[in-house]
Amino acid sequence: MVNKLIKEDTKMFLTGNEVLAYAANSAEAEFMYGYPITPQNEIMHTWCKLLPKTGAGFLQTEDEISAGFSTIGGILAGKRAFTATAGPGNVIMQDAQSMAEMMRIPFVCAVMQRGGPSTATVIYAQQETRLTCYGGNGEGFRIVYSTAGHQDLYDYMIKAFNTAWKYKFPTYVLADGYQGKMREPVMLYDPASRGITMVPTEKALLADGEIGVDRKSAHMRNTYNMEEELMEVLDSYQVDYDKMAEDVAEWEEYKADDAEILVIAHGIVARSARTAIDELREKGIKAGLYRPITIRPLAVKPLREAVSRAKHLLFTESANGQLAQMVLEKIYGLTTPYSTLFKMGVGVTGDDIVQKVENIVKEGV
Amino acid sequence: MARTKIVLAGEGGQGVQSIAKILVEAGYEANKEVLYIPNFGVEQRGGVSIAFCQIADERIGEPRYSKGDIIIMLSDRAIDRCETYVDKNSTVVYDTSVCTKKPTCECKEIIGIDANKIANEQLSARVFNIIILGVLLEATHVLELSDIKNAMELALGKKFDAKPELRELNYKALEMGMSLVAQKAGV
Repeated sequence: MVNKLIKEDTKMFLTGNEVLAYAANSAEAEFMYGYPITPQNEIMHTWCKLLPKTGAGFLQTEDEISAGFSTIGGILAGKRAFTATAGPGNVIMQDAQSMAEMMRIPFVCAVMQRGGPSTATVIYAQQETRLTCYGGNGEGFRIVYSTAGHQDLYDYMIKAFNTAWKYKFPTYVLADGYQGKMREPVMLYDPASRGITMVPTEKALLADGEIGVDRKSAHMRNTYNMEEELMEVLDSYQVDYDKMAEDVAEWEEYKADDAEILVIAHGIVARSARTAIDELREKGIKAGLYRPITIRPLAVKPLREAVSRAKHLLFTESANGQLAQMVLEKIYGLTTPYSTLFKMGVGVTGDDIVQKVENIVKEGV
Repeated sequence: MARTKIVLAGEGGQGVQSIAKILVEAGYEANKEVLYIPNFGVEQRGGVSIAFCQIADERIGEPRYSKGDIIIMLSDRAIDRCETYVDKNSTVVYDTSVCTKKPTCECKEIIGIDANKIANEQLSARVFNIIILGVLLEATHVLELSDIKNAMELALGKKFDAKPELRELNYKALEMGMSLVAQKAGV
């Protein structure tokens, strides 16, 4: 058992990376594996700085391939283990992440997006949205929470561990370099004080007791001989995934009820959208926000309802429409027209959105 | 809602991020809503380093903004990079003893100060950034001098205790920075 550092409500002024380390500790995480890459380094720095007090463990591996597989190793041994990465690190960790999908391993990973493709910038982007949801050779049996600030980082990092261990799908906290590096006030708390109980971990390998007597053997396959054998397994995963999606999918609406122009955005961009919507409403323009919190799986029903109510949609992202592609597939058949405001690897400000919406209105929607 | 948006830009190594940290820490300790994003490339030294700071009375929405209320430019490259954050309501401060040109943007006011020269000739090159912190404090009027001093204690207290004259030097730099703006504002 690790020592939890946050025993009562504690307001702190932290960077997002620091928040994630504290959140993992509050979630009773026992081990972090990682390899340095900006802008997520301070997650492991903070985690390590806290080790003398928490009694948890840390291993810096030789690269992200190893960090991903080591995390799987820790989880198989029954530890509440996690990792964090960004950018090209997220790319080369996909092999391990696919394995976690295939073997239904409760893999937890924080992704702090930076600019892409390749090395690009170390600062910020939303360009790992598709990669985090659908990377690897597989079908994207993953759960991805997209956060919009420090309170979200704390809340959803704790939640990610429970989601992963309950449903046994790899679970991600998808944030970005702004959230990782920026400082703002946040309320840390003991999850128990919010009625949150951590799902117990279990050993997949080297479990106690004698095989065949006390327990069944663990049979976790990553390799299949026959095509149909594979499909049978994946079909059953799909059934589990669809069932899980109803429980897990989260979204947030802001002034969306009567919105004529509905902004669809995720993560930190959704936060800029809120600023823009307040300004637009003051100017008499009925704008609202639909923000998927789980961007995989998407909450399809409320999404389609919100889109149906609106007269015009605006997709905005710090990427070239990675979320928009996923959303458009889910709203197929609806005829609400849409515009886009995509800034690849660059922050979207409230002003950007205000101007874009004003132009849409001017052009007569 | 009262919200002050600050863009602080200079060369890597000038201490831009250090003073941004002190500034927002002071805001946090004074029970303001604050949000700070550091922004720089992969260089250890050189390159433009920008700090986006917001201090507000209510919860802050957008983390990044298009236009700042105060834009501080501490090098030629910072001028080039940051004119985009200026509009007619902005106050621009630049260092005449570092920059070889003057910002040409349309704005409320452009204030030229020679903080680098003053630091080198009258105080110490090491407190250049603290002079800038004083400039910011006077130009924004959202925090008290005592808030900044408290935050400096949190950031530099150990160094000050080891060498008390450093505290005096930093305070002097802070006051110098404040007076630079106060003088200009009076003209």
